Amino acid sequence: MQNKHYKMDIIPGIVIALFSIGYLALIPSIQTFTGLGSTPLTNHFVPYLWGGSLLVLSLWIIARGFRRRKKYLAEGGSIKKTSLKDALLERREVVASFAALTLYVGLMDLVGFVIMTVLYVFAQILILTPRENWGKTYVPAAITAAVSGGLLFYVFRYLLNVLLPVGILKLFGL
Amino acid sequence: MILQGLLEVLQPMTIVLVAIGTAVGIIFGSIPGLTATMAIVMFLPVTYSMTASEGISMLMALYIGGISGGLISAILLNIPGTPSSVATCFDGKPLADKGEAGKALGTGVVFSFVGTIIGIGLLMILAPVLCDFALKFQAYEYCALAVFSLSMVIALTGHDMPKGLISAVLGALLATVGLAPIDSKPRFTFGLYQLNNGFALVVLLIGLFAIAEVMAYAETVRQKQDFTIRSNVKIKGVGFTFKEFVGQLRNAVVSALIGVGIGILPGIGGGVSCMISYTVSKNTSKRRELYGTGIMDGVVASETANNGTIGGAMIPLLSLGIPGDAATAMLLGGLQIHNVAPGPLIYEKNGVVVYAIFFAMVLSAIFMMLFMLLGMRFFVTVLKVPKNYLLPVVVVLCAIGAIGNANMIFDTYCMVGFGLMSYLLIKSKVPTVPMILGFILGPTFEQNLRRVSQLTSSDPFWNHPIFCVLIIATAFVVVFSVRANLKDAQRAQEAERQALKAGGADE
Amino acid sequence: MKRMLSLLTALAMALALAACGGNSGDSSNGGGSSSGGGASGWPEKTINIYVTHAAGGDTDYMARQLGEALQKELGQSVVCTNVTGSNGATCMQQYKDGDTDGYTFIASNTAALNGNEATSMVDFGYDAFEPVAIYGIQSGENIVVPADAPYDDLEGFIEASKANPGQIKYGTSTGGGVYIQTCVLTNLGGAQFNIIDAGDAANRLTALLGGEVDGTSLPYSTAADYIENGQLKSLCTCLSKAPAMMPDQKSASETIPELIVDTEYVLLAPKGTPAELVEAMNAAILKVTGTDEWKTMVNEYCYQDPFVLNVADSTTNLKEQRDLFQSFVPFL
Repeated sequence: MQNKHYKMDIIPGIVIALFSIGYLALIPSIQTFTGLGSTPLTNHFVPYLWGGSLLVLSLWIIARGFRRRKKYLAEGGSIKKTSLKDALLERREVVASFAALTLYVGLMDLVGFVIMTVLYVFAQILILTPRENWGKTYVPAAITAAVSGGLLFYVFRYLLNVLLPVGILKLFGL
Repeated sequence: MILQGLLEVLQPMTIVLVAIGTAVGIIFGSIPGLTATMAIVMFLPVTYSMTASEGISMLMALYIGGISGGLISAILLNIPGTPSSVATCFDGKPLADKGEAGKALGTGVVFSFVGTIIGIGLLMILAPVLCDFALKFQAYEYCALAVFSLSMVIALTGHDMPKGLISAVLGALLATVGLAPIDSKPRFTFGLYQLNNGFALVVLLIGLFAIAEVMAYAETVRQKQDFTIRSNVKIKGVGFTFKEFVGQLRNAVVSALIGVGIGILPGIGGGVSCMISYTVSKNTSKRRELYGTGIMDGVVASETANNGTIGGAMIPLLSLGIPGDAATAMLLGGLQIHNVAPGPLIYEKNGVVVYAIFFAMVLSAIFMMLFMLLGMRFFVTVLKVPKNYLLPVVVVLCAIGAIGNANMIFDTYCMVGFGLMSYLLIKSKVPTVPMILGFILGPTFEQNLRRVSQLTSSDPFWNHPIFCVLIIATAFVVVFSVRANLKDAQRAQEAERQALKAGGADE
Repeated sequence: MKRMLSLLTALAMALALAACGGNSGDSSNGGGSSSGGGASGWPEKTINIYVTHAAGGDTDYMARQLGEALQKELGQSVVCTNVTGSNGATCMQQYKDGDTDGYTFIASNTAALNGNEATSMVDFGYDAFEPVAIYGIQSGENIVVPADAPYDDLEGFIEASKANPGQIKYGTSTGGGVYIQTCVLTNLGGAQFNIIDAGDAANRLTALLGGEVDGTSLPYSTAADYIENGQLKSLCTCLSKAPAMMPDQKSASETIPELIVDTEYVLLAPKGTPAELVEAMNAAILKVTGTDEWKTMVNEYCYQDPFVLNVADSTTNLKEQRDLFQSFVPFL
């Protein structure tokens, strides 16, 4: 059964291998320091060590993946294909959550913490609620969103001095 | 002098401040994204205007409360509240899932207390001796210690070793972003000055655990389910029996000693101590295979060790003036502002304050246990809050924590990035916990390795017995854990085959 | 239920305390918006001071002391917030083009400001800001060796290194003010140390006590206890002139004239802040630092006498230090 999960080895393996190649490729452009008291091992050495190790490890699991694939096929397993679109659709709540989160942090500086938090909390609650229950969720979700946005902003911005962005509320003198 | 110190702490004002500090610390610790360090940073300026004993007592209370509070969210939400409680999730959450949240919390709280007290005890009695030991740790020794601790990853990962190692190396690799140690040249910053400081541990932690938890829940939305997790909210006493307590004592003492030991060495910290002690406890236990399924032992190992680290970290701080981590660096500042200079003369010059610190720590530990045991019944009600309401608010708190860490909105982008990375890694069955170890220890390793490269011409390694011992120990750990992992993998395959025979179907 | 209540009370108390602490000027004691200077109406809302170094350090402490004093003087809240990292570069980068309405200021120290430019950590200098005031001077870095070392002054230390080239290990911290000082020691003082990176002040102290290095530079406050109990001794201070409270210290500049690292506390405003607002702020600072209370604080904390300059002098002072640091650039 372990062999069935060969994809869990091959795909991440390839992604990580590509990542480590990109990382290794960036190393030569790092400025080294050769002045007084410079170290014989420069600031390139350890990045090469980690990047190289990661590449080796990713090649290891790619190889393991292909070995498992072979065994799996030998055991008579069939290769199922799922399209990326189906996979994403299957996990549409996750995709929506990431989208909401990205919008939340992306617009926070511009629009401000309070407004974005209220919108985000409301949206995220709905995303995490089964469709058929939305009807009775709207009101409590809106209340949760409004309270958390306002209260947290007040506590952290004014009492604890965290620089939460005010955004467009600045126009109203907040 | 001792008596005077005690009297300083027993002032009504100081007691109130310690109580407030502990409570605030617990709140900061328990909210993912807000850490003990942040609590100290935010309250340090408040203490400028207090007397030395008041201010420092309050800071100690924040520290102890903050480190202890992390266990609440680790157990109830599977999101560690602070880096120090990462390992508490391993057994705390499964225990809570079994309906024994009360027992998990009670265990965590009581053994946090035990760990703190053992740490304070060693601090009071053995500080000078342990200080000499800490001074022996220089570049060579730190380098070997980092390698030794990293080798624990193999033991932590279980049977899928390459993926565990990938995770650890990925963590170390992420930690190379920012200004390089020693020469401060930017690496992998793509010209963004916000990246010069590198990624913050707390931001990584939020991404790896909090965001991942939200996504894990998002996947289950359409499955038919009950919105609340049933839990025995009826908690008797502290949630476990006296017999169980006695049974854990050996484990607790070993874990506390590991915690104190790591605390003494500046720059390693509670995040590592809980994981190392968990691994040691697991590998020396007779019921090794039960770890991770929700047993007390795991919670005890993690929580005793991370609180032991507090007392440990205070040793070099007070006797040498050397802070071990961001939190103790803040404490050092707090002491200096009150004209208390930590160092070899602290007992002579500020003896009263030192004893006041000891008693404040004991008092905070007592308050911590009191508040948390009383609060337990309240905390478990978190489990009754529907998660679709709870998790979005947790995310917002995490975003605040990310911003508050360095007052930069940029850190929230990193938070989302790490969340996505964590989700993809979990989907690829790559464990994310070793990443924390790699992230913390990678820079320690690099910095000291490069210093060793400066030293090696005039100071060869055979002058450093601790270095040699640690390297040999590393070799043993690697061999032992690889063998244990192979055995685990075999056992897993065996079980699978059995199951296959019994069920017939490939499910 | 009673227990829960008690917990809630504790929480409420905590929040209340946070309220007094975080924003201790809500009850703006209408003491008087008395600072003349031609900026009519200023200040009429909260003033933000962004501190380039972390809470607990001297830069933060001085900034907060100043903020507290200004709050009483100006009758508006003055809120200090730490934005830390890269020896202050992060904060300066973030706020050098900040709001120019006179409610945004940056508190830092001159060694970080000029040092980061000299070591090319950043590509801007003090002229990317409107300097408001230099308002204090640090107790200074001292060159420190074990007490049983055979040399008693900087000259002897350098001679010893020449007699035995590359054998005396000197701990530095690459990239900062200590590094600049080490470079000057080597290039202009002719010292022949084996330069070892030993990290920040606390780490340099450990390395010195543990014998990993034979000498290093430490802030006086870090080394004071060890000097007193006879473990370490100070060869000289790197300040241009010994601190007011410790007048018998030797200065490094007596041996090497260029070896001057004066760390002064400075308040900056984003570039483009109107001159009358800068002047008004400076006037307020001059006023609040003229008190006995301020003198006692500075004497105790910095071992120094108050040292506060008007806008023009502050700018000249910054320029002098910048020129000195820039002259080191060829060998940094």
